Amino acid sequence: MEINHSKMYEEPGCFDPNNFTAEGAGSGFPQAVQKQFEENMDLSVDELSYHHHTHQEDAAVSAMELELQKHLAFKVENCDNNTHMLQQVVDDPNQLLSYDHANWNTGDIGFNQDDPEQNGHRSFNINSLPQTPDLLNLFHLPSSSLLPNSSISFANSNHDTTSLGFIKDLPASHSTSVLYDPLFHLNLPPQSPLFSELFQSIPQGYSLPTSRGGASSLFGDERDSSGVTAYQDGDGGMLEFTRDMACIVRRSETGKKKKPFTTERQRREQWNDKFEALRNMVPSPTKSDRASIVGDAIEYIKELLRTVNEIKLLAERKRCVRERSKRHKTEDDAGEDVKNCNIWPLGDPEQSYIGSLRSSWLQRKSKDTEVDVRIIDDEVTIKLFQRKKIDCLLFVSKVLEELKLDLHHVAGGQIGDYYSFLFNTKICEGSSLYAGAIANKVIEVMDREYAAVPPTISY
Amino acid sequence: MEFLGSASDALCIAQARRRQVYDDSMYKSKNLHAERRRRQKLGDRLLALRSLMNKATIVEDAITYIQMLQRNVKVLSDQLLEMDSLSVQEDEEPTRDEINASEQMKKYGIKEDVKVTGIDGNKLWIRVVFEKKRGGITKFLEASTSLGFELTDTNVTTSKGAILVSSCFKGIYGNALGVEQTKKLLQEIIRNM
Repeated sequence: MEINHSKMYEEPGCFDPNNFTAEGAGSGFPQAVQKQFEENMDLSVDELSYHHHTHQEDAAVSAMELELQKHLAFKVENCDNNTHMLQQVVDDPNQLLSYDHANWNTGDIGFNQDDPEQNGHRSFNINSLPQTPDLLNLFHLPSSSLLPNSSISFANSNHDTTSLGFIKDLPASHSTSVLYDPLFHLNLPPQSPLFSELFQSIPQGYSLPTSRGGASSLFGDERDSSGVTAYQDGDGGMLEFTRDMACIVRRSETGKKKKPFTTERQRREQWNDKFEALRNMVPSPTKSDRASIVGDAIEYIKELLRTVNEIKLLAERKRCVRERSKRHKTEDDAGEDVKNCNIWPLGDPEQSYIGSLRSSWLQRKSKDTEVDVRIIDDEVTIKLFQRKKIDCLLFVSKVLEELKLDLHHVAGGQIGDYYSFLFNTKICEGSSLYAGAIANKVIEVMDREYAAVPPTISY
Repeated sequence: MEFLGSASDALCIAQARRRQVYDDSMYKSKNLHAERRRRQKLGDRLLALRSLMNKATIVEDAITYIQMLQRNVKVLSDQLLEMDSLSVQEDEEPTRDEINASEQMKKYGIKEDVKVTGIDGNKLWIRVVFEKKRGGITKFLEASTSLGFELTDTNVTTSKGAILVSSCFKGIYGNALGVEQTKKLLQEIIRNM
């Protein structure tokens, strides 16, 4: 028996103790159950394993009860492990019969009606019953009712297997939050007066709130939140009123209607703020509709990645140059070294960065200017589109000189309203220019010059 | 007998080696497959994770990522500039190029030249050849502008150490100089470069 218990205890297959949130409630409950159990029942200590355990392993049992409560709180679906546990439970049929259930009716109902606060707990306790239908199916119960709570505890606990004995056959329950009324299978009148009272007290068509807070999770996340009506399943006495009860409880606590009306607006505002922030980070925003912002962001991220790679490559090259020049310092001219170094990288298999050709491109737009910079190895191609009439050629060539770019070819002119130019340049050796720098500089100059020169030409 | 023995031994060894290689390659390919599958599994799961993120998180993450990348770019470019300042400046190179330029020009018989033609009203068309120098084009442009000319529809090419400018020349102030005058001015510019 002991062995069985331990084995069963380690088998929380269908349970998910992690989700358990109403721990406080759970812990409080088993004790109440225990007490009631003991009060209402006139049990011979020796015959009930539970009782037996109560005396001998109080702490263990209550701990186990707690564990049980956790387990029972969720996964209301039938669990195969239940059957497994049940098998072991069956082993002690004798003890089942020894229960004196006379007093349990009142106790049973008393539980449900008690203390509305505990309803949640109770119902989650009761809810666990559906988990045990397979278990219970295996039992032929004497005609007596059973404290649902305690029965559940016992049903799923390792130690209380014996108490299951008195539970009659139960048909397979539905997987969702169905309360099994243990009274039904006991050939009692279809509805006990108390239960019908409960039924009526529950508004029909109550819908289960979407899982908010821990309490709602008690009833399992798999449940669909369609309206639950309290009904009685004649077949097996499955009642869904518990869920409704929980609903009632929960609604008063976390009712959606209570949500401040600004939350929706706040959410929208936050949402828009995020998009604005994104937009501000992108260098050349055009349209301000959300899709364009996201598109611009995508392009910008790609550009940043290119830039990072480019700079890393340049740094690698520079480092290589420096090392080589250090090595050759005593030998040849420094100038020659630089040249050699440029040839070196191509043949050097070790450093992947240096061996690869540098390639990157960039686009920048400002109010009247658009710059497109493409770099392949040491050739830089700059495209410039300028709306306003300023002496683009002069300023750009100045900039290029500043950046130490060797201008090889320029072509361009006026096309309609725009001035369009194409600059083919070469980067001087040893320059650590990267595409972003070029584009930014050009745009900066353009804008500056445009701002400095009034629309009409002046000298 | 010994010979035979050794021959069969050699054969066995060869077979064993072959088997070993074969086994190795088998293991390697098995491993390859396993690796590939594992990588693919991870990739798929990451995609699924990405797809699970809600819209707000995605935008937030994008913002964070962009900021991080910007910071990286800044740091790296600062490093690069540092490296630049530390390294020795090579001033010999450009002069060498310039020497090459004038030499090349002579070699190919390209002479400095100015041609001016009038086209369509105020417009002039110029064709100037001059020696490639550092900042030569800039100087030319500066000079032209200071004289009140504007280059529209320009084409500048560099070849064999010389710069060729063929462009539409326009007087900024509307009044155009005559062809001869323009030519003289341009020649002056080139000489002063």
